[in-house]
Amino acid sequence: MGEVELSCLAYVKMYLHGCLFPRCSVNGLLLSSSPAGGTVCVTDCVPLLHSHLPLAPITQLALTQVDVWCAQTQQRIVGYYQANACVSDNSPTPCALKIADKIAEQCNNAVLLMIDGGKMSPDYRVPPIVMYERKDTRWTLKDKHTIMLRQWEETREIASQLLDSGDHSLLVDFDSHLDDITRDWTNQKLNAKIAELSSPANGNV
Amino acid sequence: VNVLIIVFTEMRDKLRKWREDNHRNSEQIVDVGEELINEHASKLGDDIWIIYEQVMIAALDCSRDDLAWTCLQELKKQFPGSQRVKRLAGMRLEALEKYEDASKQYDSILQDDPTNTAARKRKISILKAQGKSAEAIRELNEYLEQFVGDQEAWHELSELYINEHDYGKAAFCLEELMMTNPHNHLYCEQYAEVKYTQGGLENLELSRKYFAQALKLNNGNMRALFGLYMSASHIAASPKVNATVKKANVKYAAWATNQINRAYQVTKTNQLPVEELLLRSS
Repeated sequence: MGEVELSCLAYVKMYLHGCLFPRCSVNGLLLSSSPAGGTVCVTDCVPLLHSHLPLAPITQLALTQVDVWCAQTQQRIVGYYQANACVSDNSPTPCALKIADKIAEQCNNAVLLMIDGGKMSPDYRVPPIVMYERKDTRWTLKDKHTIMLRQWEETREIASQLLDSGDHSLLVDFDSHLDDITRDWTNQKLNAKIAELSSPANGNV
Repeated sequence: VNVLIIVFTEMRDKLRKWREDNHRNSEQIVDVGEELINEHASKLGDDIWIIYEQVMIAALDCSRDDLAWTCLQELKKQFPGSQRVKRLAGMRLEALEKYEDASKQYDSILQDDPTNTAARKRKISILKAQGKSAEAIRELNEYLEQFVGDQEAWHELSELYINEHDYGKAAFCLEELMMTNPHNHLYCEQYAEVKYTQGGLENLELSRKYFAQALKLNNGNMRALFGLYMSASHIAASPKVNATVKKANVKYAAWATNQINRAYQVTKTNQLPVEELLLRSS
């Protein structure tokens, strides 16, 4: 089907989300600030939960809040990501499919992204992600060649740096926000750090 | 020299607090514990053994097998033949994903002491790590038949059921926990979330009651506050309720809205129009 581009910002935050909660399943939403049609450009992501992923109330709440924020900031929800606690199994869970289905109702190019925990070692050479797209009513594996990550080496380097410096603990997911509502789930601080580390030539951020 | 003593006691006290609170901040424990062990072992007295245990488990969590091994050797020397140390050796095998060897280790503990709950629970953890949820659930149920007061086990079981989308059984586990811990707002709130997820008018009303109960126990629980708003709104919007029930739930929702707005006004971070989002989610 269509091409998907994953920005440095989106990838790094997703990756750090998984690193911040290594024993939990985590999930989040993929956003785009580009207009609909053509390549799906995932320009940002919002980390959502690290506990009780299948339960409804907080997921519904988060989806609504992110929706409202997107409307205000000219972004759209274009996908969903999840990393399973059990690294030996990176297939989408029923709750992942359910949420992805909901997103696909509003966005017909929606993507479902599973982070492959087993491939997240420090010396990984390819992005540890698996993407699915909706064909008819089923989520099918996307052809790897339709997924683009510009400046992959640089992106990976930025993620490593933030991990090493401990700055990944700056990441706030929706769960953490509910524990302390002064914490910002749009992650402006972390976004700024990532922007700092990206080279000026990088057009993704 | 005084400064060093202060630093040492601070470190030792930090470790103790994390032990008592059962904190799993493994990176910090490794940081503090490793330094304590390397630089101040002589000052620790008998505390050193429990610290070795604490640091070893944290080291396993951080893939620091070198450090874990060192701690384990010290413990083995000091407590030869100890079941507790055997269990730690088993945990190390688990961390190395040598599940069969770990299982054998726990089996040997259970042979000598069939009531050793720690070994039984480790065996269940192995099943969980291997993704064998159905078996883990079965074993945990059997365990709870014998050890019906084990809160940790009840909570673990509720989590396993939630992941399997078996909300009825998850609710049952949380009911057990609420009965034995009536002042724990988290159990009330989790129960309410499960009921909400199950759906249907009856479950929604139960969820609203338990979100409210959680708030009574802890009025800072934002999940409960939002949950109260959402469940009350859905009930009020349902065609199946009579005017009285509708009116009551509109009131609950309005109260919750008010509380939410007040809470967000204080924060000034997310400048989201909370009213708008509340309108949207109804």
